[in-house]
Amino acid sequence: MNLSVRMVVVLTAVGLISGGLLSVVNLLTAERIELNRLKEIEDAITQVVPGTVSSQKLYEEDKFTVYASKDASGQELGYAVYASGTGFQDIIVLMFGTDPAIETINSLTILEQKETPGLGAKITDQQAFLRYWKGKDIRQPLTLRKPAVGSPEELGATEVNTITGATISSDKVMGVVNLSLERLRQIKQEGKLASGDGHVN
Amino acid sequence: MSTKSLSAEYLKGLWDENPVFRQLLGMCPVLAVTNAVINGIAMGLAASFVLILSSVVVASIKKLIPTQVRIASYIVVIATFVTVADRFMAAYFPPISKALGPYIPLIVVNCIILGRQEAFSSRNSVGRSFIDALGMSTGFVLALLVLSSIREILGAGTFLGMQVMGSWFKPWIIMILPAGAFITLGILLGIALLVEQKTRERRAS
Repeated sequence: MNLSVRMVVVLTAVGLISGGLLSVVNLLTAERIELNRLKEIEDAITQVVPGTVSSQKLYEEDKFTVYASKDASGQELGYAVYASGTGFQDIIVLMFGTDPAIETINSLTILEQKETPGLGAKITDQQAFLRYWKGKDIRQPLTLRKPAVGSPEELGATEVNTITGATISSDKVMGVVNLSLERLRQIKQEGKLASGDGHVN
Repeated sequence: MSTKSLSAEYLKGLWDENPVFRQLLGMCPVLAVTNAVINGIAMGLAASFVLILSSVVVASIKKLIPTQVRIASYIVVIATFVTVADRFMAAYFPPISKALGPYIPLIVVNCIILGRQEAFSSRNSVGRSFIDALGMSTGFVLALLVLSSIREILGAGTFLGMQVMGSWFKPWIIMILPAGAFITLGILLGIALLVEQKTRERRAS
């Protein structure tokens, strides 16, 4: 066989075999990967809206999804909001829960982040950061409290704490939450949060 | 063709030709993912999987591949196994897959793997290539383990997530930042060179 033909044949064969193998691997793993993703979201919803038994996707747009949380009797417990925004180094993906009237935050959880280890990465730390978010009044935008705080009681109703050495990461998280709240109210006013038409998870 | 005994073929990867400390190959994952022991081990195992399977495949098809397209063919083989490893981890070990992020796909460009194909598997038998890849993998995993243990213990006071330092210990945050990777690797390379020099002097005298 002439050399250039042989080169074409060999590369094509290698590519075809590789492609075939990869499509088999994809078939075998795709379902599980999707399940992992859904389970992660479900776990997060139960975490941010305590008492959730079932959840329903109400509204979805780029980087912003709203779920309704319901207890066993179908009573609406509140909304779980899945949102993302730019952090200090990379995208921060988070989820927080509110009551049905959108007046207080139940709690906040960080799903994905690549902030500086040991500093900004503390946004995933309950003790240093997340516990200060529980029960915040969100009728007005949240604000950052600069000096290090020792206990949640020291903060005002709309204040969240800053992690020492990671003001930017703390601020970015607050920014994502504030923006999402604004958007949440907006779509609620537009009547897009009526439950019943979204598909059940 | 290599004429070493099979056990020497395996052992050379551990020290004499250790990919990290002696050949200085694959520095990107070495520096990037060794901030926690579990990440180091996971990266080591994923790279080993790719290296061993690619070596076996390349050694078995080496006669069919025209030299002009050998690198392209090797890369396709390597990329296939990397994708398999990546999907497998995303499906069965999602937390680790998340922690390693883009570094698993980047195994494709890890010089250790392409380097071994070019320097070894394309010239030696399947069995010998397998032993060579096994030795290089062991050397790589050991190097990542040493580096990540030092960094996790000093940088977070933990080993595999378990607290090993007392409450008196204040973690050196720099050790889990990129700078800590360079400092640790530099010191380890210095030690490796020193040991090598001493052994050579002893042999000479």
